[in-house]
Amino acid sequence: MDAFKLMKELRVNCEQEVHYLPKVTGLRAIESTAPGDSRISAKCRDAKVEDLWSLTSFFGYSTQTFVLAVNLLDRFLAMMKIQPKHLSCISLSCLHMAAKVTEKECNLTPTDELIRIGQCRFTVSDLARMEKIVTEKLNFKSKAVTALTFLHLYHQIALSHCTDRKTTLSLEKLEAQLKACLCRISFSKAKPSVLALALLRQEIEAVQSEDMLEIASHIQRHLKIVDADLVLWSKCVAQCLSDYASPECSKPDHRKLQWIVSRRTAQSLHSYRSVPELPTIPEGCWDESESEDSCEDMMSSGEESLSSSLGSDAEGSFFPPHLRRQNQRQYLYA
Amino acid sequence: MSAISASEKVDGFTRKSMRKAQKQRKSQGSSQYRTHTAPVELSPLPQLKDAPSTEQQELFTQKLQQCCMLFDFLDSVTDLKSKEIKRATLNELVDYVSTNRGVLVEPAYPEITNMICTNIFRILPPSENPDFDPEEDEPTLEAAWPHIQLVYEFLLRFLENPDFQPSIAKRYIDQKFVLQLLELFDSEDPRERDFLKTILHRIYGKFLGLRAFIRKQINNIFLRFIYETEHFNGVAELLEILGSIINGFALPLKAEHKQFLMKVLIPLHTAKGLALFHAQLAYCVVQFLEKDPTLTEPVIRGLLKFWPKTCSQKEVMFLGEIEEILDVIEPTQFKKIQEPLFKQISKCVTNPHFQVAERALYFWNNEYILSLIEENIDKILPIMFGSLYRISKEHWNPTIVALVYNVLKTLMEMNCTLFDELTSSYKADRQREKKKEQEREELWKKLEELKLSDMPLVQNNSHGLPSVQNNNNNNNNSNSNHEDQERSAAAVTADDKDPDATAAVSESTPCAK
Repeated sequence: MDAFKLMKELRVNCEQEVHYLPKVTGLRAIESTAPGDSRISAKCRDAKVEDLWSLTSFFGYSTQTFVLAVNLLDRFLAMMKIQPKHLSCISLSCLHMAAKVTEKECNLTPTDELIRIGQCRFTVSDLARMEKIVTEKLNFKSKAVTALTFLHLYHQIALSHCTDRKTTLSLEKLEAQLKACLCRISFSKAKPSVLALALLRQEIEAVQSEDMLEIASHIQRHLKIVDADLVLWSKCVAQCLSDYASPECSKPDHRKLQWIVSRRTAQSLHSYRSVPELPTIPEGCWDESESEDSCEDMMSSGEESLSSSLGSDAEGSFFPPHLRRQNQRQYLYA
Repeated sequence: MSAISASEKVDGFTRKSMRKAQKQRKSQGSSQYRTHTAPVELSPLPQLKDAPSTEQQELFTQKLQQCCMLFDFLDSVTDLKSKEIKRATLNELVDYVSTNRGVLVEPAYPEITNMICTNIFRILPPSENPDFDPEEDEPTLEAAWPHIQLVYEFLLRFLENPDFQPSIAKRYIDQKFVLQLLELFDSEDPRERDFLKTILHRIYGKFLGLRAFIRKQINNIFLRFIYETEHFNGVAELLEILGSIINGFALPLKAEHKQFLMKVLIPLHTAKGLALFHAQLAYCVVQFLEKDPTLTEPVIRGLLKFWPKTCSQKEVMFLGEIEEILDVIEPTQFKKIQEPLFKQISKCVTNPHFQVAERALYFWNNEYILSLIEENIDKILPIMFGSLYRISKEHWNPTIVALVYNVLKTLMEMNCTLFDELTSSYKADRQREKKKEQEREELWKKLEELKLSDMPLVQNNSHGLPSVQNNNNNNNNSNSNHEDQERSAAAVTADDKDPDATAAVSESTPCAK
């Protein structure tokens, strides 16, 4: 696509994006809710979005599906008062809806598998009903313009304009960073075009390409993005990404996962923890009579050499040379 | 053999149980029992508790001697009265030694040990069932158990008597005694082995001078078991005793003990009948590692070397043992073996046998193991990632798929950056592979088309060489001599008659060569 067309498409999408923004008041309400409340809190939503990402990744869905699912979820949550217990049903239906839009039919995971892997307690029909509700509430606007749309466009523009062949922006890296941002509800308040531009800029700064920086500014002007906005969101993005890139590991929230194993495996799991019945016999001090008597009771036929080597077992080879010969085994059956 | 009905057959073959029942049980003759010229009867002696204290010693000795008379229990009808007298006497002796003090005077020791030796030391009969499978078949129980049990009981009480003096007893309980005791561990009767286990444990505890000998003999038994016979019924019991010995090792560990671990215990894992004694064996290994953590690396490498390749049941056992070892491992030791270990685990996870895969995946439910993985995620995740991703799509068992999700999710939360990197490189690899496959498919298609398009041209070729080489016999001679072909090829190329065929020829002739 030539540059002109790309820019035009950018403009069109920019105009469209307002239709797909979640209500800011709704988002703020969620952010201000304390965890453990009867309503959804930010932590709750963020954890659920992370689960969505795990599922997306597991089933091999594209980032597009994930971004769309989060968009649907946020739009829905911002307009409705939801009880936390319904959150997993809602999020899963958003994922399924997004997958139907983006993925090929043959790659769609059936809903019962979705529910089983997601370790959810509701049924397939529950999910179907929830999908209907969400679709209605969102006025059937399932194909949203998201930050990913912009990211793709920006990326194409940047590459096509860039004269310097050596520097490339990795689209995958940008997508991964976007995904990291989306896991925090605060970023849903940003306009997708601005968020995507903020991401683009910080990556450009990372690769230190003057050319691309120019292109980014050009885009900014073209879309009439306010400087203040961009700066604000760039800060947030930088913070988020530094957390994402840090080598520190987060302790996985273990209790949430169910580990179901087959009966046979479960039976054999703890059969080893049996306490032995025989009391411990402490090893005596080596110089003690431990060796004293072994020389006394001699057996016939070549036993002498065996016993005498037992005394100082701490040194000496454990398998005395005469024993290594094959034909020396009759000694046991004197 | 009487006719066997169809219902008693499986696949046309008689059931094993039917065949066994049909076999007549031969009465086993034993050289132990002399044929008596005259029937021998035991005359009952007065009760010990009734005897005055001055005569008790003498009576005790008489009774002991009386009990040296052996009876044939395979013959269930003869000597019933005498057998009962002996049984009652033995019972009495057991009580006498357990409850009274001052019984074990020096002259009593040889009498006691003589009675014991006479009764229990015997050559074990060959197994009635040559294909005895310890896990499935009922063991052959000792026929003379009513007496022998009491003799074992007596020996145990004797050893545990508070007046027992090892310094006196050691003249009689010597290396020969121990050797014969060890041989009895091969008995098929589990009750007998259980007694022997406790008895040998006590002997090891009390006779310091016999300890090295006992350890040596057990070594030999194991080595013979591993490398020569693969038959010994008492491995589990001996290992249990060893467990209590290992538990008591002084630090630093002697070289002998370390050698035992590496040369005997680890190779013991290769035995076919591992299931019978694995719990005890694993316990011994873990005890060693708790005593000396520096042994971790050689132990794990040893286990990996002997990792079962075709026996899934054993693989599950090995995995259980690995988990037990990991439960006690020190983080510095873990670092040394993490890579080879997780390479093996990654193979186990993809095993089509669901129990093996399950057991391996269940490691991720262990908090301590998780913390070890977390510390070393940068090394471990790349090893596990590919297999986990693959089986999430390919494994037939839905439970496994669900467990894989748990594992991937856990790993993802540990280090999402690394996880994302691996995901994208894995996807890129898959794309490349797919592309290669497609190209290969297309090449074959092209070759197929080639063959088809030249089918009519090959009719006159009588030599039947593969058509790829014969694509140029469109006009003439049927001798598909290679040289002719080349010339014809050239001819066709120059001819330009059939542009498609020409193009194909010039492309594929190099292939034909």
